[in-house]
Amino acid sequence: MKFTLKWLSEYVSIGDLSPEQLADRLTMLGLEVEAVQDLSQGLEGILTAKIVEVRPHPDADRLTLCTVEVGDDVVPVVCGAPNVRAGLVTAIALPGVTMPGGLRIKKARLRGQESRGMLCSGKELGISSDDSGILELDEHVASGVALVKELGLDDIMVEIDLTPNRPDCASVIGIAREVAALTGSPLQRPVDRNDLPVLDGRNIDFSAEIREPELCPRYAARKLTGVTIGPSPGWLQQRLLAVGMRPINNLVDITNFVMLEYGQPLHAFDFKKLAGGRIVVRRPAEDEKTFTTLDGSERTLEPEMLLICDQERPVAVAGIMGGLDSEVTGETTEVLLESACFDPVAIRKAARRLNLSSESSYRFERGVDPDGVDCALQRAVNLIEELAGGKAVPGGVDEYPGRRDLLTLPLRTSRVCDLLGMELDSRRMAAYLQSIEFGIASEEDEALQVVVPSFRVDIEREIDLVEEIARLAGYNDIPTTLPLIRMDYPQRDPLRALRQDVSAILLAQGFSEAINYSFVSEKQLDVLGISGDDERLRCTRLLNPLTEDQAVMRTMLLPGLLENIKRNINFQQTDIRLFEIGKIFLQHGSDTQPEEKLQLCAVMSGQRYPGAVPLYFSGRQADIFDIKGVAQSLLTTLRITGGSGEISFVAAAEEAQPYSQEGMSLLIMDGERVIGGLGRLDRGKGRDFGIKQDVFFLELDLETLCHLPRAVKAFKSLPRYPSVKRDIALLVPEQVAAGDLLQAILEQNVEHVERAELFDVYRGKPIEKGMKSVALSVTYRSLEQTLADETVDRFHKEIVHSLMSRFGGRYRGGQEINEEEKRNA
Amino acid sequence: MEDELKRLRAAALEALAAVNEAEQLESFRVGYLGRKGLLSTVMRRLGQVAKEDRPRLGQLANAIKREVEELFQQKKKELSATGATEAVPEDLSLPGRSLPFGKLHPVTQVMEEIRGIFEGMGFAVAEGPDVELEHYNFEALNIPKHHPARDMHDTFYVTDSILLRTHTSPMQARIMEKLEPPLRYIAPGKVYRCDSDITHTPMFHQVEGFMVDYKVSFADLKGVLTSFTRRMFKDDLALRFRPSFFPFTEPSAEVDIACVICGGSGCRVCKHTGWLEILGAGLIDPEVLKKVGYDPEVYSGFAFGLGVERIAMLKYGIDDIRLFYENDLRFLAQF
Repeated sequence: MKFTLKWLSEYVSIGDLSPEQLADRLTMLGLEVEAVQDLSQGLEGILTAKIVEVRPHPDADRLTLCTVEVGDDVVPVVCGAPNVRAGLVTAIALPGVTMPGGLRIKKARLRGQESRGMLCSGKELGISSDDSGILELDEHVASGVALVKELGLDDIMVEIDLTPNRPDCASVIGIAREVAALTGSPLQRPVDRNDLPVLDGRNIDFSAEIREPELCPRYAARKLTGVTIGPSPGWLQQRLLAVGMRPINNLVDITNFVMLEYGQPLHAFDFKKLAGGRIVVRRPAEDEKTFTTLDGSERTLEPEMLLICDQERPVAVAGIMGGLDSEVTGETTEVLLESACFDPVAIRKAARRLNLSSESSYRFERGVDPDGVDCALQRAVNLIEELAGGKAVPGGVDEYPGRRDLLTLPLRTSRVCDLLGMELDSRRMAAYLQSIEFGIASEEDEALQVVVPSFRVDIEREIDLVEEIARLAGYNDIPTTLPLIRMDYPQRDPLRALRQDVSAILLAQGFSEAINYSFVSEKQLDVLGISGDDERLRCTRLLNPLTEDQAVMRTMLLPGLLENIKRNINFQQTDIRLFEIGKIFLQHGSDTQPEEKLQLCAVMSGQRYPGAVPLYFSGRQADIFDIKGVAQSLLTTLRITGGSGEISFVAAAEEAQPYSQEGMSLLIMDGERVIGGLGRLDRGKGRDFGIKQDVFFLELDLETLCHLPRAVKAFKSLPRYPSVKRDIALLVPEQVAAGDLLQAILEQNVEHVERAELFDVYRGKPIEKGMKSVALSVTYRSLEQTLADETVDRFHKEIVHSLMSRFGGRYRGGQEINEEEKRNA
Repeated sequence: MEDELKRLRAAALEALAAVNEAEQLESFRVGYLGRKGLLSTVMRRLGQVAKEDRPRLGQLANAIKREVEELFQQKKKELSATGATEAVPEDLSLPGRSLPFGKLHPVTQVMEEIRGIFEGMGFAVAEGPDVELEHYNFEALNIPKHHPARDMHDTFYVTDSILLRTHTSPMQARIMEKLEPPLRYIAPGKVYRCDSDITHTPMFHQVEGFMVDYKVSFADLKGVLTSFTRRMFKDDLALRFRPSFFPFTEPSAEVDIACVICGGSGCRVCKHTGWLEILGAGLIDPEVLKKVGYDPEVYSGFAFGLGVERIAMLKYGIDDIRLFYENDLRFLAQF
């Protein structure tokens, strides 16, 4: 809602408040001031000027040589506007003046002719959108005076961001009422209740019938004859321009002006185009499918829309926009002026259906004062008589089936004090409410009976009055206290705790956290090769996505991170460790909320240790064992054992991770249950994402992980006897997995085996092709004694033999180093 | 065995290189070359090696022992030649050796800070679904179907009755429906609006919070949010509460803090008002309490909501909200 201070001052005195102070006070009253703008800004140097003489330019067809009077001066100006003529009073920017757009005017020669200044169009001055020619001012305006003075632009425009509950302030008078409460000065309206004529529908040649009284509680109209359509006077145009509304003609401008002044939308029909002199407020007839509004668009009508019709056909969509056929034109002489009130929900629905929002629908949707309909009508009638030469036909219609008594609400003093946490007595409360024209039917210490004025359609309950008192008392004057609470330490959500733990572990491994949009393009799943009955194809689709790239809720986190990798590589960040912990959405039914699961995805690409000092860490590229290590350390640190006692890494079938390179794909399993996966992204699919370097990924379902058993923290006494380590090197066929060898050692359950580790895998000379050497070390320890070498030898031999027979390996060698010996050395 | 010998050689060479005092030299000799030293120990085990490998490994072991001894003598000479224990000074301008940590996303960092403050004041944390029923997002919060307040929420719909939550406030209704007062909760999470430009992304983060108990007042709301804001920004921060409108609170308020960029004198960020809006709040509307079966004559409460990105932008001086979702490492590394 925009207004100017001069305009406001017509209804209320601002006193000695500066524009900034006023803006601040309004903001603190709940009318948030968005902008305060000096309308004269940039126009300081522009003067009025009168064209005295016009001659054609000798060397340019489109230019004219003008002799221009600016006060006592006469200056030559070359002008290209089509509307230059002798006698025209317009605006000039003399040399040295800077235009609002930043252009500095200089003396110039145009095609050899001297020009000392520029005659300006409304658009060049930034005061209208008119660029068809130079500004045309009233011929009686003197030349050489400041244009801002002449146009009344020495004014301040204030814009308020109105909250939806305050339609009463979608009017300058409504704002003036609030200002009156601030300053204590009286509110003056141009038309008051006492000035109104009786509109009983008698002795007139038109009528109005409301067929839908629920949707149209009130409909009033008057007829004016002898109207001359023409431009509005300057002051009226300026009022509208100042708040960003385009002047059209005197009649339309008056209806717009009164709407802004009173908050009551009005509509003027060309009376001669209304069939039968009859207005019917009704829904569309069955055969009325379309209607052309005055903006020239053909609109599709819906059965529940409310129409204003004449005897035969619709002439307006109620409360939203008039029709093209009954619009006021230059030839109009008789006008039917409508002032009505419509049901907010009906107007809102229709405006939505028509995708048509107007100043009028904005107000009706929020609620127009039904009692104010007649005042606004009279104000407009007065202005038409004054500015458009019309004469109002005595009498008129005013159907008011929705008339209701004013609402009276009880307000308990104690309730106000309790809710606000401040002491106030009933007298103060009454004074606050009366300052904004609420009535007080009765006043006692414990309670008030408050009469709600009709323009405050938002006040329906006691709590609404509490808010009025709070804002009038001033939120900053309400005390600031801390509540006394019953102390408790709330339960922590285990999933949230897990999320924090996982983040901490990944951060420590050099991964940074990413957050991506929850909606993605469905195509990404295609690119990754997700197909068949993979549940990740169960996407939740948005009805109204912003773009096709954000059309479905994600069912996996990987694509977002791949996009991040691509972006980072584009900006020369090629060494990447990123993770995201976020929800995925799996749609299981058609009209249900999707299942939301918290997942982890981590990706790495480029050098093994991004950001590490190259002096110490060579530029080795990350490989699959880096990401596997991340998974293992995550599970170990979290002490996750799983129901099976141990989480295993199992080679994945292609369909499980179709985006993974074959043979570079592992599933992370707890027994038979998949809890995640890792691998190297298929290079072709990587390229489809625009990534040319290898990417390694890890995906874990945190929801599942959260419920898996974890190793209990329980102390075991520290061993007192030394351990003995023995190495084994076995030559085994290539296809034997080193991990299986380790596993076999542990599964043998040989006594005193504490640990088995891999320390080398070797291929190449002198080992023959198809074989590899795997070196393992086994640590033995007894809790009761120092193990004798012979004892260890016995156990070790057992292990070596069983490995050889089970895996077809050859013993390559081995040695033992007594830990004790090493320490003594 | 072969590998072990090679490792031992490397270890010996490294250890010897590090020696720069006569004393260290002696302990090196005992450790590697002495009768019980590592080299001798390994060589004693040559007997256990497979016959065919024995000559080769034996030669290797001897060669290594010779090499180490030679270098040892050389070192000994060097040390006596300098006649002192003077070592080559380390170049301490070299960087320390460490593997870098990753960074939490700034949104997470700010969210955790917010959570920490409210947890400290006794608020519990709960999270709800992103894909929400229209009922909880709107109706339960006193926003009926054709209310103009819906204009404040550009909503993504999944079906007529299912949508992407436009705020985290639905958790108010969900929690109150399940539990009895006293309640103190915050609900952090992602929210969605179909809006995208320099100052809006279609997804962002909010933290909703509320408290319901006997006689919770607007003054209490002011107290709790003043504490929060000052802990979050700084202790002597000026702030103001001003009237606003939300359908699910009444009286409703917006909380402004003195502009952290210009300190209140007016700048582009605060639109020359000197104030920055950071929170929406209010007493929970009696209608919302009634809908979950609470008697508003017995209980009252306050609720508030804040935008995490906005606070992160103000705290860190970030000027484009879209940066949060590009996950550029150069951006993430800054926080």
